[in-house]
Amino acid sequence: MIDTTREERLIETFTVLADTLVAGYDVVDLLQTLVESCSALFDITAAGILLSDTRGDLEVVASTSEASRLVEMMQLSAQAGPCVECFTTGTVVSLPDIDDGPASWAPFRESAREQGFASVFAIPLRLRETTIGALNLLRSARGELRHEDVRAAQALANVATIGILHERAVTENRTVRDQLTSALKSRVVIEQAKGVLSHTHGISMEEAFVLLRTYARNNGRMLSEVAERLVDRTLRI
Amino acid sequence: MPDRFAAAMSALTGAAGEEESLCSHFLDVLPVDGASVSTIGEMLGSETVSASDRQAARLDELQFDLGEGPCWDALATGGPVLEPCVRERPQRAWPAFSEAIVNDDIGAIFAFPLMLGPLRLGAVDMYTVRPSRLSDEHAEQTAALATVTSRLLLARALRLTQDEMPAEDRNPFSRRSVDQATGMVLAQLDISADDARLIIQSHAFATHRSMREVAELILDRRLNFATRNDEIEDSHD
Repeated sequence: MIDTTREERLIETFTVLADTLVAGYDVVDLLQTLVESCSALFDITAAGILLSDTRGDLEVVASTSEASRLVEMMQLSAQAGPCVECFTTGTVVSLPDIDDGPASWAPFRESAREQGFASVFAIPLRLRETTIGALNLLRSARGELRHEDVRAAQALANVATIGILHERAVTENRTVRDQLTSALKSRVVIEQAKGVLSHTHGISMEEAFVLLRTYARNNGRMLSEVAERLVDRTLRI
Repeated sequence: MPDRFAAAMSALTGAAGEEESLCSHFLDVLPVDGASVSTIGEMLGSETVSASDRQAARLDELQFDLGEGPCWDALATGGPVLEPCVRERPQRAWPAFSEAIVNDDIGAIFAFPLMLGPLRLGAVDMYTVRPSRLSDEHAEQTAALATVTSRLLLARALRLTQDEMPAEDRNPFSRRSVDQATGMVLAQLDISADDARLIIQSHAFATHRSMREVAELILDRRLNFATRNDEIEDSHD
């Protein structure tokens, strides 16, 4: 019975994502929807998506929480941890017990432990032979993810990859690099817009993100467009 | 002459690396006989960056040596100091400076501060041989040229120290804090994101901190450029 519900939710998620891909969409918003779907669908505590920039460094573009500690921990994983290994090998990296990782992953392990995570799974964002980033799933309990969850997560990661690479490719002849750069760039503007709202409303960065996203949704506008207009001061909310 | 002004603005905007000829852009547009661009203060050091002739250079030098004069007042008040007939009917009291220029061929002096947000960087001094007035339009144009000049001088100083950029400013997580802080600063001062970033970078440079450390101070609301005084060397610890 639980499985049926889960399957229904999974179908619902893919439907929402497919609809998004057909209509106009914003990459960061799409990735945000995706990480939130992951945390609702799977037995996990947190999720995040990292994309590689022009120098090959991985950067967080979406995460279930904007808390800086979580984001920083994912960045540590991208320096020495499951995330970078997944990215370089292009394969799923499972760490059912974070204590089992190699010694060089210590900074990541410390940070993950401090925040109560016990296991982590990294799933590649890959199109044919090109890996553009990784989806990270974190859990407070030890143990493997269910096999079907890993498969479903990989399917979601594929949707994310298509979403990132497809954006604008229809109308413009753009390379994978360009697509990634534009996704990361819109994240920069979103961070700046969070700063604007945080200052003008006296709220935290997390609250600022919620406000930004809610405003974009309620007004049928793209997240990055609203962010841009807040930053160039042509919009005040 | 709006066309000449537009041409000077665009030439100035692309003048990085050619700071010695900065004053020529003022001469191209404004009805003056000479001009100089100087930095004043701890951050960029006190020096004449560009002077159109000996007289312009001498006026700067006198003011540096005497510690008084139009450029000091422009910097202190953050607004232009317009003296249509500085030798015979000065509107402000500069006993030593007035005495020093008694035999110079100077009619008017117009001094404009070089500022970016809260940072006071130096001044532009312009003179005419005969007494004259600066129209409102010319004053506005000078102020606009001064803003572009400020940005260039700051960028030059930072360029010269770029090798010393701390490693931690280059990692993605720092970039996220700096982006958020950039948003807060641009909202505090109602300026562009590029200028806000330049201000954070300058503050880091002036206080021997990394950009990330400065960003954290801003995010923690321990540093607010809108409410603080003009000292950029002050400590926030």
